[in-house]
Amino acid sequence: MSEQLNGAVASSGGSSGGSGENGRRLLLGAYFDFIRIRFLTMLAYRINYYSGILIYTLNIGVNYFTWKAIYGNGESLGGFTGAQMTTYVAVSWMARAFYFNNLDREISTDIRDGSIAIQFIRPYNYVLVKMMQGLGEGLFRFMMLMIPGMVIAILLFPVQLPTEPSAWIGFLVMLFFSFLISSQINIITGLSAFFVENNEGMMRMKRVIVDLFSGLIVPITLFPGWLSSILKVLPFQAITYLPGSVFTGRVQGVGIWNVLGIQVIWFLVLLVPIVWLYHAARQRLFVQGG
Amino acid sequence: MNAIQVQDLRKTFKVQKNREGLKGAFADLFKRQYSEVTAVKDISFSIPEGEICGYIGENGAGKSTTIKMLTGILVPTAGSLSVGGFVPYAEREKFVQNIGVVFGQRSQLWWDIGVIESFQLLRKVYRVSEQDFKKRLDELVERLELQELLNRPVRKLSLGQRMRCELVAALLHNPSILFLDEPTIGLDIVVKSEIREFLKDMNREHGTTILLTTHDLQDIEALCSRVIMLDDGRIIYDGGLEDLKQRWGTGREVQFQFGTATKLQQLTQWTEGMPVTWTAENELGAKVWIPLELNVSDVLGRVVGQADITDIKIIETNTDDIVRSIYQSGSAEKPEEKIAALLDEKEVIHV
Amino acid sequence: MYYLGLLIEYLKNYMKTRLTYRADFWVEVVSDLLFQATNFIFILVIFMHTDSLGGWNQNEVVFVYGFFMVPFGVFSCFVNMWGFSERYIVKGEMDRILTRPAHNLFQIFLENVDPPSLVGSFIGLIVMAISGSNLGLPFEWWTIPMLIILTLSAVAIYTGIYTTLTSLSFYSDAPTGILPLMYNIQTYGRYPVTIYNRAIQVLLTWIIPFAFVGIYPAALFLHRDEMKGMALLTPVVGAVFLGIGLMAWSYGVKRYKGAGS
Repeated sequence: MSEQLNGAVASSGGSSGGSGENGRRLLLGAYFDFIRIRFLTMLAYRINYYSGILIYTLNIGVNYFTWKAIYGNGESLGGFTGAQMTTYVAVSWMARAFYFNNLDREISTDIRDGSIAIQFIRPYNYVLVKMMQGLGEGLFRFMMLMIPGMVIAILLFPVQLPTEPSAWIGFLVMLFFSFLISSQINIITGLSAFFVENNEGMMRMKRVIVDLFSGLIVPITLFPGWLSSILKVLPFQAITYLPGSVFTGRVQGVGIWNVLGIQVIWFLVLLVPIVWLYHAARQRLFVQGG
Repeated sequence: MNAIQVQDLRKTFKVQKNREGLKGAFADLFKRQYSEVTAVKDISFSIPEGEICGYIGENGAGKSTTIKMLTGILVPTAGSLSVGGFVPYAEREKFVQNIGVVFGQRSQLWWDIGVIESFQLLRKVYRVSEQDFKKRLDELVERLELQELLNRPVRKLSLGQRMRCELVAALLHNPSILFLDEPTIGLDIVVKSEIREFLKDMNREHGTTILLTTHDLQDIEALCSRVIMLDDGRIIYDGGLEDLKQRWGTGREVQFQFGTATKLQQLTQWTEGMPVTWTAENELGAKVWIPLELNVSDVLGRVVGQADITDIKIIETNTDDIVRSIYQSGSAEKPEEKIAALLDEKEVIHV
Repeated sequence: MYYLGLLIEYLKNYMKTRLTYRADFWVEVVSDLLFQATNFIFILVIFMHTDSLGGWNQNEVVFVYGFFMVPFGVFSCFVNMWGFSERYIVKGEMDRILTRPAHNLFQIFLENVDPPSLVGSFIGLIVMAISGSNLGLPFEWWTIPMLIILTLSAVAIYTGIYTTLTSLSFYSDAPTGILPLMYNIQTYGRYPVTIYNRAIQVLLTWIIPFAFVGIYPAALFLHRDEMKGMALLTPVVGAVFLGIGLMAWSYGVKRYKGAGS
């Protein structure tokens, strides 16, 4: 895989040397290449692909039955009807298939084995490249995993698809922001490897926290009041809970603009630590020699 | 007795083919295509105990594959082999007790702890008794001057220091056969020659059989009495180093610098009747190429008395050139086999 | 005896390594604890909204969770296969393993021992003790021996499943993505499987038998007689799956030796 990537890098490296409009266009093309190559790489891993579909379906199934047991005869929990909960569980897991990636792990591996130094002197933005690779992976999962998985989920479980076009459009736009925010958090976690000796623990923690606090396992409104009010001011809900709320129709009309606004704000806010970490990392790499 | 005995050894790999483009990748998701590649093609050789043998060839010639079969990492597709009296892949755990392996680019030492701790652990792994271990370690440490390094973590060692420690790690259990895969790669000249000296001593004192692969032909010149050269999975040369030079060494070259301008025509005339070729570099410089059968001194004798010479440089053919010239002529002995080899690589499609 | 000696030696080396990175040790312990805490939150949240999960009350579910942590901690300490494909196949360290005179799988286990995980096991025991006393569970003569047997069986099940999955690395595909997903699935073994439908029950019982690392064996201590038979079956399942794992592994190694990396 890395060889293929290097190939793309080499071609971009040569081209971006040319100044001006042309060079910029070529560099942009190189970034698209990163998306394409990662997409193709994902296709090469068959076992991952097949097992992914099975395991995601299983996840939805288990969560569906767990919630069914919790509901018992109850009509509604935390404002969710049983049917909404089923839809929420299915769409949340499927959305996870799209936004989830291992950028944190990839970055910290690059840092620990020292190959980041080479990445940093190449004529592109390392963080942006990682983002593009994540997007390539996400697009693969979206088309090959999320869509077929959703079809399977609809066949197996009583999932209610939204009828409003606004819910569909809103959800898809928000899904993209879920990807951005989740990847930003991954990049922050990954870059932290520059500053702590071993960030394995942090990465594990991030994973658990994102799954739990994003509302994937428990919708935010079901948490105890104090906790859910804390979670409302953290970025994690923007990853799963907000898009899920739009898809299940719990948020409609103007409300969609509001929750989308929350995502955009988090996207912008999270750029700050990334830019800062990136510069601090460069500093550290070039001044202190890694 | 032979330390290594190889008969008609063959190794074939099934290589997955990636079809091109997006469409190809989708097709690969459901149906894979494989092609078969034969990395080692029915080679035979034997290495007597106590010999240092160089195993050379270009990247992809099949060197590593052979080493991996000899060390029990890979199972051959066909043929028989015996290393130190064992069939490597059949009795792996017993067999590896007798061999030492150093892969130049991979470490066998624990990264974060003192070197000595790694040695202690390997002692346990190889079931070396405390006494033997101590004796052996003292000897190796003294020989390689590692006293200072023993308590340092591996990550704090330089490449040369690390490589010396790797050698110790591979030799602690006193193996009778040592496999070295690119042992001097990336090292500076001083360390390289230290390691070569050490290996020679090991071979002389303990009779250790050594098989090494290298791209550095000076390693070969310094160490090996015997060279096996591989190209495209076949042995194209097996014999002494001198012999190799005799057979493929094309000649020597002498460079002259003159004090006054000397014409090419003049030079050619002086060496009339000798099968030499002159080339002019500029007005004050010229080169002469002298075939092996001719003495360099004879040629020099003709020129030295007559020309105004400021400098002479004799350039000996190095093994690099030999290898290159062999490669250029294709398979050294039977060029027609090479064509047959190409036909071997039939495409196989598996579902 | 030889392997026990090696284990001690590797543990010593682990400690020496870790002492050079003391901070990491504690970061890992704390992150493990937080990981457990978040799972705990899930249980607490569930029982804020219901009194029983498929007929099991909060203390019972917490007790099962406590039991679940015990073998999981032991397993994570001694059998740690994260990154096998990266480290041993891609970077080629498998070759080094194969040139050493000890069983290859065992060498890999040894090189990756992770003692901080054992902290989770201790916490699991404490959780069991607290929820057990809340439930007024009697302490029988067989409690400790059974706990040991069932823990070892559960560790065998984990080892079997993860060894099987890891041995997929010997084939051309890199199955690195499967292990984390499995970690998700195994957590389902600590809820009463009876709440799931038939297919998932069968899956979690016989195919990837994570029910045997949580709910079934724990049911024995809870005197839940409907699962007693299953609980006693745990060692058998452990033996079978460990066997499958070892077979898959040696098959994979054979393939590796046939094909190289």
